Amino acid sequence: MTKYVIRRLLQAIPVVIGITIVTYALMLAAPGGPAQKFANNPRMTPAAKEKFLKAWGLREPIPVQYGRWMGLLNPDEDGIAAFLGPSGWPNFLPTGISGADNGILHGDFGYSIDSGEPVGSRIARAALPTVILAGFALFFWLLIAILMGVFAAIKRYSFFDQAATVFAYVGFAMPTFWLGLMLIFLFGVNLKWLPVSGMTETRLSPPFGSDAYWTYFGTTPLTALQDIGKHLILPVVTLVVVNIAGDSRFVRASMLETLGQDYVRTAKAKGLPNRVVYFRHALRNALLPVVTNIGLEIPFLFTGAIVTESIFSWPGIGKLTIDGIRNFDYTILMGVLMITSTIVVMANLLADIAYAFVDPRIKY
Amino acid sequence: MTEVLAAPGPVGAPPDRDVLLEVRSLRTYFKVLDGIVPAVDDISFSLKRGQTLGIVGESGSGKSVTALTIMRLLDIPPASIGDGSEVWFDGREILSMPLDEMRKIRGNDAAMIFQEPLTSLNPVFTIGDQIAEQVELHLKIKKRAAMDRAIESLQLVGIPSPERRVKQYPHEMSGGMRQRVMIAMALSCEPKLLIADEPTTALDVTIQAQILELLKSIQQRTGSALLLITHDLGVVAEMVDNVIVMYTGQIVEQGTVHEVLLEPRDPYTMGLLESIPSVEKRGGRLSAIKGVVPSPFNLPPACRFEPRCPYAWDRCRTVPPDLNRVGSGGHLARCHLHTSEGAGRLPDALQRHRTALNLGRTLPTGGH
Repeated sequence: MTKYVIRRLLQAIPVVIGITIVTYALMLAAPGGPAQKFANNPRMTPAAKEKFLKAWGLREPIPVQYGRWMGLLNPDEDGIAAFLGPSGWPNFLPTGISGADNGILHGDFGYSIDSGEPVGSRIARAALPTVILAGFALFFWLLIAILMGVFAAIKRYSFFDQAATVFAYVGFAMPTFWLGLMLIFLFGVNLKWLPVSGMTETRLSPPFGSDAYWTYFGTTPLTALQDIGKHLILPVVTLVVVNIAGDSRFVRASMLETLGQDYVRTAKAKGLPNRVVYFRHALRNALLPVVTNIGLEIPFLFTGAIVTESIFSWPGIGKLTIDGIRNFDYTILMGVLMITSTIVVMANLLADIAYAFVDPRIKY
Repeated sequence: MTEVLAAPGPVGAPPDRDVLLEVRSLRTYFKVLDGIVPAVDDISFSLKRGQTLGIVGESGSGKSVTALTIMRLLDIPPASIGDGSEVWFDGREILSMPLDEMRKIRGNDAAMIFQEPLTSLNPVFTIGDQIAEQVELHLKIKKRAAMDRAIESLQLVGIPSPERRVKQYPHEMSGGMRQRVMIAMALSCEPKLLIADEPTTALDVTIQAQILELLKSIQQRTGSALLLITHDLGVVAEMVDNVIVMYTGQIVEQGTVHEVLLEPRDPYTMGLLESIPSVEKRGGRLSAIKGVVPSPFNLPPACRFEPRCPYAWDRCRTVPPDLNRVGSGGHLARCHLHTSEGAGRLPDALQRHRTALNLGRTLPTGGH
C-alpha cells in the first residue's frame, strides 16, 4: 500500500509537469495577452506598452518565461548563469539550498497583473469561501443523490421513482444560470426572504476574509454565521438541484444492478430485514463505482462553481477565475489552473486509495 | 417411502405432523413484456421430516421458481402466485403469512443454497461476518457467540482452520470452498429444511462429488429434510429418496428414486434416461429427445410433451393428460398411456424404451 502510494505520487510528478507545459501553452495561444487589459486605455501608448511588457518579462524568449515562472531559471541572471540560484546551487532546488524564491517550484505564483497582489495570497483568500460553498453543496447533493438513487432503485417504477426521474431530467436540462436567476428573482427580489448576492451583508460587516472581518466575527460569531448561512442558501440550492441529477441516476443504476446480484438474494434468504439487505448488503456494493465519481467531484471543492459563484457574487475561486478572464489577469488564471489541476491529480489518487479501503478485493 | 408423495391434504387444513413441507396446487406466474408466463403450473408434493426429495427438469422447467416461491424470494410483481396455491411448512401456511413472519423462517427453519457459489456471497464482507449475521439474527445471541458458531459451522462442512477462514473475504476462496461456506451458512441455524438449488452445477466434477457427499452426511447427522433441485440424474440417483420430474412448469412424473429412474413411465422421463451416454455402449450417436422445449407463450394445447413424444397419438393432441397412478404406490406419470385408452399402447412403448436403454443397464451412476 505504502509502496503503491509512493509510486503513484512519483507518477504524478511528470503529470503535473505536463500540466504546467499545457497550461503555459494554452495561455500563450489565448488571444490578447497580458497587455490587452490596457488596450482601450488612451494613455497606453506603444512606448508604455513596451515598457509594461519589458517590466513583466514578456519580451524574453518563451522558454525563458516558462523557466522563470516554473522557478527553473534565476530572473536576475542571463544565459547559462540563470540556471543557478543566488547561492550558486541550481535554481530549481528548494529555497534553503539555492537561495531562489521565484517560480511555482518555490511556491511563488507571481503577482496579479490586475491588482498587484501576490497570486498565492489572492487564491488563498478566495479558497475559503469556495470550500464553504462547495462543501455544503457537495455534502447535500451527494446525500440527497444517494438517498434518491437508492430509494428509486428499491421502489423501481413506483411514483417516487418516476418523480425522481422527472426531477433528475429537469435538473439536468436546466441551465445553472437560469435556475440561479430564477431563485434570486423569487426568493431574493419578490419574496425578499433571502439576500440576492455576496457572502455577507456588506452594510453590517467588513468584507469577508479581511482582518476587520475576523475581528467582527470574533465579537459576534453567531450573527456572522447566521449572515453567511442566509447567503449560502440560494447558491447551495442551485448547485444541489443541478448536480443531483447525474449522481442520483448513477446511484440508481448502480443500486439496481446490485439489487439483482445473487448475494442480495442470499441476504434475503438468510431472513435479514429489508433495511439490512438494502443498506448493508446492497448499498455498500452499489457505492463502489460511486467512489470514483465522488473522487472526480472532490476537486470541485476547490475549483469552485464558476457560473454559480458569478451569479451570486460569491467571492470564491470560481469568481476569481471569471474575473481573471475578464481582466486579462494571466498570472491569476495560471495560478488557479495550476493549483486546481494539481488537486484533480491528487483527488484521483485519493479515490484510488479509497477504493482499497471500501473494496476488499482491491489490493495495491 | 411412497406415502411421502401422498395426495395433498384438504385445502386450508394443515398436513400431518410428520410432513415438513407440503405444496398444494402451486402456481407461479411471471409478467413479462409479451404477457403472462406460467412458470410453475399447478404442482403439488410433500416432503416428510428428514427425507430427501429431488426435483429434476431442464432449464426453464420451473424447478428453481418452485424453490424461490417456497422461500418467497420472488419479487412480486413481476411474479404472482395463483389463487388457491398453498405451501405448508412445519404446520403453517407460509404463502399467506406476513413477510415479517416469513423472515423468521428464512435462514432459520428453512435455508437455501444457491447455484452460483462465486456470486452468492457478498464480496465486501468477511465470510465470518456473513454467517454470524444470520446466527445473531435468528438465535438472538451476541456477536462473539455468533462468530464462534460460524467457526463451528465451517468446521462442520470440512473447511480447514476455520478460525482463520472466518476473517477472509469470499474472493480469497475457491468455488468449492465458497459453496462449503454457503452450506455452512445454511446450516448455521440448524434448519429443518434445506433447499439446494443446483448446488454443484457451477463446480468442477471432483468438487461436485465432495459437496454432494458433504450434503448427504450433514443431512444424516442433523436430520434436516433436503429439497434438492438439479438437472443431473446422476446426482438424483445418489442423493434422494423421492423424485419429481418437471416439464414446462408441470410435474410429469413422480415416485421413489427407484421407480422413476429404473421404471420410468412418462415418455419425457424415458427420453431423459435414454439420452444419458452409456459407458458400455461405445460409438454411435447419442440419443436425444427430438425437438425443443415449447415456448411458454405457445404451449401445445393438450399434452405439452406431445410434439416431442415418440408414442403420441390423437388423444394426446386433444385431451390434456392428468397425473395418472402407475402401479400400486405413489408412482405418478402425466401420460395417457396409463389410462384405459392408452393401455393397449403401453407394452410397446415400454419395449421400445428398454431397447433404447440398451437393456440391462442399471441405475445411472455419477453425473460426476
